[in-house]
Amino acid sequence: MSVRDVLSPFTAWKNLFRDPVSIADPLKRQAAPRYRGFHQNDMEKCIGCGTCETICQNGAIDMLPVEGIPTKQGDSGLRPRIDYGRCCWCALCVDVCMTQSLTMSNAYTWVESDPDKFRFTPGVDKKHWDDAELGYVRPEGHRLTGELRVHMPEMEPDVRIGSFAEIVDGYSVEQAVLEADRCVSCGLCVATCPTHMAIPQYIAAIRDGNYDLGLKLLYDSNPFSGICGRVCTHKCETTCAARHEGDPIAIRWLKRHIMDQVTFDQITRVVGQPAASTGKKVAIIGAGPGGLTAAFDLAKQGHSVTVYEALAAPGGMTRWGIPEYRLPYDVIDRDVDVIRSLGVDIRCNTRVGKDVSLEDLRNNNDAVLLGLGLQLGRATRIPGSDHPDVRKAVDLLRQATANEDFGTPRQAVVIGGGNVAMDIARTLARLQKTAYGEVRVTLTALEDINHFLADPEEIKEAGEEGVIILDARGPQQVVVEDGKVTGLKTWRVKAIFDEQGRFAPSYDEADEQFHQGSMIVEAIGQMTDASLLGDELTERLTWNRGRIQIDAGGRTSESWLWAVGDMVHGPDVVTAVADGHRVAASMHANLVLKEQSK
Amino acid sequence: MSYTPDRSQYPAKKADGTLDIDLTSGKYLKLWHGPNHPGITGNMSVELTVCGDEVVDAKTHVGYLHRGFEKLMERRSFIQVFPIVCRVCVPEPDFNEYCYAAAVEELAGIKVPPLADWIRTLILEMGRVNSYMMYLGGQAGAFGLGVIGQWTTYVRDLMLDRFEELTGARIYHMFIMPGGVRDRLPEGFEQRMEETLREIESTLKDVYDVMFCNAVFKKRSVGVGYIDPALMDAYGVTGPNARAGGVAKDVRRDQPYLVYNELDFEPVVGKDSDIYTRADVRRRDVTMSVDLIRQILAKMPKDGPVMAVTPNVLHWKIPRGETYIRGECSRGEYGYYLVTDGSGFPRRINVRGPSYTHAVALLERMIVNLNISDVAGLMVSLHTYPPEIER
Amino acid sequence: MMRALHDRLNALFPLGELTEQRPDLAFLTVPREHLRSIILHLRDLEGFSHLVLLTAVDWLEEGNFQLTYLLSNRGKAVDLGLRVMIPRDGASMDSIHDIWPTAATYQRELREMFGIQFPDSPGVNDDFILEGWIDMPPYRRDFDTKAFSAKTFKEREGRMTTDPEQHMKQQLYPDGA
Repeated sequence: MSVRDVLSPFTAWKNLFRDPVSIADPLKRQAAPRYRGFHQNDMEKCIGCGTCETICQNGAIDMLPVEGIPTKQGDSGLRPRIDYGRCCWCALCVDVCMTQSLTMSNAYTWVESDPDKFRFTPGVDKKHWDDAELGYVRPEGHRLTGELRVHMPEMEPDVRIGSFAEIVDGYSVEQAVLEADRCVSCGLCVATCPTHMAIPQYIAAIRDGNYDLGLKLLYDSNPFSGICGRVCTHKCETTCAARHEGDPIAIRWLKRHIMDQVTFDQITRVVGQPAASTGKKVAIIGAGPGGLTAAFDLAKQGHSVTVYEALAAPGGMTRWGIPEYRLPYDVIDRDVDVIRSLGVDIRCNTRVGKDVSLEDLRNNNDAVLLGLGLQLGRATRIPGSDHPDVRKAVDLLRQATANEDFGTPRQAVVIGGGNVAMDIARTLARLQKTAYGEVRVTLTALEDINHFLADPEEIKEAGEEGVIILDARGPQQVVVEDGKVTGLKTWRVKAIFDEQGRFAPSYDEADEQFHQGSMIVEAIGQMTDASLLGDELTERLTWNRGRIQIDAGGRTSESWLWAVGDMVHGPDVVTAVADGHRVAASMHANLVLKEQSK
Repeated sequence: MSYTPDRSQYPAKKADGTLDIDLTSGKYLKLWHGPNHPGITGNMSVELTVCGDEVVDAKTHVGYLHRGFEKLMERRSFIQVFPIVCRVCVPEPDFNEYCYAAAVEELAGIKVPPLADWIRTLILEMGRVNSYMMYLGGQAGAFGLGVIGQWTTYVRDLMLDRFEELTGARIYHMFIMPGGVRDRLPEGFEQRMEETLREIESTLKDVYDVMFCNAVFKKRSVGVGYIDPALMDAYGVTGPNARAGGVAKDVRRDQPYLVYNELDFEPVVGKDSDIYTRADVRRRDVTMSVDLIRQILAKMPKDGPVMAVTPNVLHWKIPRGETYIRGECSRGEYGYYLVTDGSGFPRRINVRGPSYTHAVALLERMIVNLNISDVAGLMVSLHTYPPEIER
Repeated sequence: MMRALHDRLNALFPLGELTEQRPDLAFLTVPREHLRSIILHLRDLEGFSHLVLLTAVDWLEEGNFQLTYLLSNRGKAVDLGLRVMIPRDGASMDSIHDIWPTAATYQRELREMFGIQFPDSPGVNDDFILEGWIDMPPYRRDFDTKAFSAKTFKEREGRMTTDPEQHMKQQLYPDGA
């Protein structure tokens, strides 16, 4: 103890002459730019995926419908409501938000007399901080869910062009688990899938390595999971929540992964045995995905099902339209064999109308289902297109599958911008490479490259394989010299549709091009060959714009006849599968009803 | 100038050595010190048995702040635990964030980017300054020196401003997450931090003059609350409480974590092991932290990622394992013991807060023989935060 | 370093599994009947003088409590966690409060939170944190906090939520088709 210890404390008095350090009006104090204050939600960006609700450790977030925000593909229409009685402003919801719609302002004062007011839907309930510019947003590079898709290994273009071997390798278990890990299980994709597969659940099964469960979930909604795992149009991926701030989950490849991992015996064990026989008989015409899906469902319910197929093997367009490098035949065989294991009798090389009459089928069965598909190619009807070397893509693809020699041209021109056009262009490219060592295929389409109907990866891969793709070219004339096709003349397309939105292409005649080729392939659409119905039945049936009119269950105006698949809904495998289920349910209900009213 | 009360008469001892305290005799009185305590020790209470104004027996009562955090953590996914760990300790929450994140990273095999380690170190030192500032105010306040608390609260508030601009929050920062930290330093942070550090240094100077060179404060604190260095290990004493007794324990130097290996410092030690020395060690520790913050800002890399790539946190599973992560917080050894079982949830998290040992067994022993008016000063001098006792 | 220590211990005591978590941290399973002598050996001869923590892990599915005694050797800056498995049924363990007085606090908490008995530990049966608690020891895995909360407290009204997948199903394909 010293004199200093007695005097020193008095130095505190110097503060008498100092200005106060407290803030005069704390309510007006601005918080820091990255302050985690009250929530904002951009209604334009929010897709109602509910990931914010999932991650909230306080259970502060509810997903609720909001007036004026309809449910649509890729947007549940729900919006997060936050209970500020529970929120702890950790901002995990902001960090995880799949679209970055959810952010925080730097506002932090809000006075209410009613505590329930502190439960609000940001972006819907107007607040004074809605337009605040400062506040917490997810920092760049700060991601809590996987952003980029696991790369799918595939054959290099120069290797794959030499054969029809499958291009895509499929994921290994490790790759699949990594990709499955990215899924946030929001379920937005389920509504988009025509057959509403349990996508988040089977992806979770991959994460857990539970392939039996995965398989069961696949077969609950899709007996063509092997095929769809390879060639599905995967519209689900267009509504995946992950696509907004990264790549969509590779849903299709994950489905394929499950099918790649399981054995045939495993599938039949999971699918199980059909129900006890009902004694009812059903005939199905056409062994495509639509007809066979219905066969699968009906057989499981105990009905006796016979499928009549005009061609040499079942599968429909998946076999006779899709090239082997995209969909190997053994994959089709396995999917079909599972259906056969339920007792479905598939009679190939049996053309209804020739080998067996439709009348007989009607008389010998309780119900008949038409699954004819779209097997006729549409024609351009341009001058010169009646030449024998002007061919239809579907015909050539069928011949290619059957290993028939249709005379591979040294140089070919394909008309069309859809997946079928890509299929035939790439098939021709492979045949040319094998026969002549070089690829000389030109593809012309009406649409500009950004509006092609074909999948982007098809266009990319066709280009890699040496197919020359010319967009916005309208075919005008097949040039024939000395009885031989020498090429195709096209004009540049100015517009495909007129002002009313009708299909009426207009051309710039000054921009004419000539594409050399000894074969011209038309790939501009398909239609159904319904000649087996016969004149009388055709007359009796109700038609709608060239298609048989059906009710919601697929039943035609004839009470014993249903129709399914591409012939009524247009070309798509998974749509046909969904349709098969729907039609089978309608037929089953009808057969049961018939039994009960007996 | 040690303080030795006359204990020749009371209380008598029973045959088994326990105290023979008969409350009906009128010689003794039960006195509840807390839980509504005016100091900064938070909501805990000490049940005192006094004889006159001397304490003859004491028992710590906790549970006023129990929120079952360790249990709550077992029921949350690994990312969902992150926002609640900080709540275990209000004045210095960042150690919870760091220890938890580091434990998860170790068991999940995640490598944190270097810049994130530097920012974590920066935050921990900033938090230490704040914690000590609260302590100094409380210690002075417990002996009736109210002005110190006003000054230290002022500079603590400046540091909270720095926290706010760096982490987005003032108290519960929720900034150190498994995988790294949320963000980089904001533009111009170094300069504003330097201004804050200067303000702290100038305030520390005033605190030294008014609190440490103060006859009254010395009279009340020198020689009071002595911890025998021989008891340090028996009672698990760590941090400034140990260092003030000459036991140079400092995890930052003993088992360097984060970037402490790259910083230049020497643990602050004292030798008298009384309230005054403990206060003085902490005051000097602030100075060291200020220096460390300057070193960090000067040496840290200017660019790079601050977050490692983690699995999708929504279904993050960690293989079976266990680990213990410790750090030197303002009160001593802070640690997280994490046990995982291969699921998406922790099997067990045990938070080892220094107050757990300081405020129960040690405090109960030290209070005996003290004057009632010194109890508050002693409790504060152990720098205890009840939430970490009861988690 | 941990290996060498393990070898020295192994020469004296029967030991269980060793997990080398880090160069400066290992966990070692020891038989309960040897715990006391191992701890004394470690404290007095190997420099592990600091009891960092004592806590329990409930391996409900396996029917065991794991007691973890984390000891620290300050001089060498290494930590060793001793694991002792005791059956959950009638869980009881010998007290070490005479080795470290501070252990009494840990044991008091374990008795209260896990229901593990430590006979002879001073004040072990006094309430620690949960004054007036009447349910099962709450840190046991089979104590369901959420169910307890639902049973004990009233839910705040006005909370409801919707699953996006189910909501979309209702809105976009109500007939399931």
